Amino acid sequence: MSIKKKYILLFVLPALTLYVTFVIYPFIYSFILSFYRWPGAGARTFVGLQNFKDVLFGSFGSEFRNAFLHNIYYFILVTILELGLGFLLAIFLVSIVKGKRFFQMMVYLPNIISMILVGFIWSMMLNPQIGLVNQILNHIGLGVLARPWLGDPNLALNTVIAVNVWRNLGFYVLVFTASLLDIPRELLEAAYIDGASNFKVITKILFPLTLPTFQTLSILLFIWTFNVFDIVYALEGAQAGPFRSTDVLGTLFYRTAFGGLGSSRADFGLGAAVAVLIFVVVMPLSLVYAYIVDRRSRNA
Amino acid sequence: MRRVIFFSALMALLIVTMMASTTVQIWSWRSQDAPVWKEVQKEMNAQGIDVKIDFRSFLPTEYDSKVQIALQGGKGPDIIYSRRLPGQRTQALIDAGLLIPIDDKVSLSHFNTSVLNFIKASDGKHYGVPFAVQVVGIFYNKDIYKKYGLKVPKTWSELVKNAEILKKNGVTPFFVPGKAGWALAMQHAMTGVSVLGPCWIKNLLDGQTNFLDPAWVHLNKLLNDLKPYYQKGFMGNTTDDLNAAFAFGQAAMVFYGVWGYGQWKELNPNINVGYFMVPPDCEYAQPWAYVFMDGSLALTSNSKHENMAIKVLQFAATPRFGTIFAKETLNIPAVKGATMPNVPLLQEVLKVAEEHASPYVYWVGSVLTSHSPSLYTDVLSPGMQAMYAGKITPEEFAKMAQDKISQWYKPLMKK
Repeated sequence: MSIKKKYILLFVLPALTLYVTFVIYPFIYSFILSFYRWPGAGARTFVGLQNFKDVLFGSFGSEFRNAFLHNIYYFILVTILELGLGFLLAIFLVSIVKGKRFFQMMVYLPNIISMILVGFIWSMMLNPQIGLVNQILNHIGLGVLARPWLGDPNLALNTVIAVNVWRNLGFYVLVFTASLLDIPRELLEAAYIDGASNFKVITKILFPLTLPTFQTLSILLFIWTFNVFDIVYALEGAQAGPFRSTDVLGTLFYRTAFGGLGSSRADFGLGAAVAVLIFVVVMPLSLVYAYIVDRRSRNA
Repeated sequence: MRRVIFFSALMALLIVTMMASTTVQIWSWRSQDAPVWKEVQKEMNAQGIDVKIDFRSFLPTEYDSKVQIALQGGKGPDIIYSRRLPGQRTQALIDAGLLIPIDDKVSLSHFNTSVLNFIKASDGKHYGVPFAVQVVGIFYNKDIYKKYGLKVPKTWSELVKNAEILKKNGVTPFFVPGKAGWALAMQHAMTGVSVLGPCWIKNLLDGQTNFLDPAWVHLNKLLNDLKPYYQKGFMGNTTDDLNAAFAFGQAAMVFYGVWGYGQWKELNPNINVGYFMVPPDCEYAQPWAYVFMDGSLALTSNSKHENMAIKVLQFAATPRFGTIFAKETLNIPAVKGATMPNVPLLQEVLKVAEEHASPYVYWVGSVLTSHSPSLYTDVLSPGMQAMYAGKITPEEFAKMAQDKISQWYKPLMKK
């Protein structure tokens, strides 16, 4: 082995150690655990594929399908709202002359608040009787629209998504702003000189030129939304109420691994099976993402 | 000279170390118990036992996994607050040898057999010292009842009549925390013991009847029909909202547990609270109270100071501990012979617990909640929310219960 290779290994070693310890080892461990029944203490019982059978077709089959569909719905809505609004707000922030910094800060501010705190704040704001949202609706004569936002099964998931959008929008605005600033000004000036309307400029120039950013962000959003847990837990708890109307794979994993209310069974093996299934869903898209990024860097 | 100084310092350090009190660490899901352990420490110190109690509480929803992971990793406290048996969580810790039986270490002579059954494992040994008995039922604001000339209802229809009168007078009859699935499960269970009665529940446990029985469906209907008397938007409320609303007289009644009393009094010292068992649906039937042992103080195998931890447990098994516990938390201690604080409500609830506790139950303390899918987590909590939200009918709720529990509970499989 040449000295150069040795040095490369030496520099890679710290990162590799961390990666193996915190990513590879837990993953392999979870994978092995998914074939066992284990309440978190004592001996493990090998059950083969029983945990996967329970999760996909057995006692947790309907909950898994329900949570999976919620994840898909979550992804679609969050993608439309966060990327759509993020893109439009970024255009607005790039275009304005006065107060740019102020608006940028305001939009990004919720992003620095922890999810658990966001959950607490919005739980208070959305309280049916004393919450700010219903109070405002009552005061402006729209009391008929006041709802138990987090308790109505028809609204709860949308409410969670709305809070998620409020929290994360700033990040997407920031990324799109950077992407828009990369577009040469001459292109836009030429378009306006040729008489293009704002709509045309957005749809024919800005959108196509920021499309790679859209692609990257939507793949990242797919991965993130299929791992979503914290905001649902903070707003609705591990039970993902009302009656699982906000349940996602993350909360299902939590319930199966750590048990439900009272004395009910905790089964790390069952939880690990859910985690492996999440991985099976997310992994192909992650590979697509890696491929796109790799291809782009080769073309650049 | 240097040698003398060195040895003197070493001796001093040794003496200080020997004199330092032994720290016993206790983990719990009950943050309200912190003053109890301060008081216990003071009392034990006064008895010449040099102990320091390090009490730590965790979020109830995260507590069990924290305990499990710590003990499995060879760490954790000397004593844990342990969930009652039968229950997979505590059983798993016992099976793994992480909890130590206390039969030959602590005298349990001050406890009733019914209470001790909740800490008795299948090996016949006892794993812990029970600390509290909980009673759930309907708590009402006596001043509101008095203002509208209402009497404690003897039947379900009288309860509905009371609610109707309150509603007509602009008072919210019930405050129900619909967002807290566990509280709805509790509401169903406390109503069930009176409306169905212990015999029906025993038949259910024996497999003589099942959840599709018209009696169970009828119970679901009774609860569903009570919805018009709940506060507006009740599906979005938590138990914190309940505590505040009830303490400040914004609702006349709550389906809750006696553990709430301390908090109501803390929020509003002037609140005048009464208690009654959920009335049965027939004037000739008797009401029953849902009483359960809350948990126990269990000795862990990872205890670093086992002898001192045993002394703490020995103290916790005495009526004096019960007196401190009741005084500090306004909860009912599990140990017999404790002096209760002069609070009429507690005396009343204690009497009910002693005389009208249902011998058969289907919520906490029941075998039906010990496996997955659990009647508690997977049926009553989501099922009540679904029924209240109008997503399923009382009949569908019954079918949901039968389908889920018959997956693993053998007596119900044949039905």
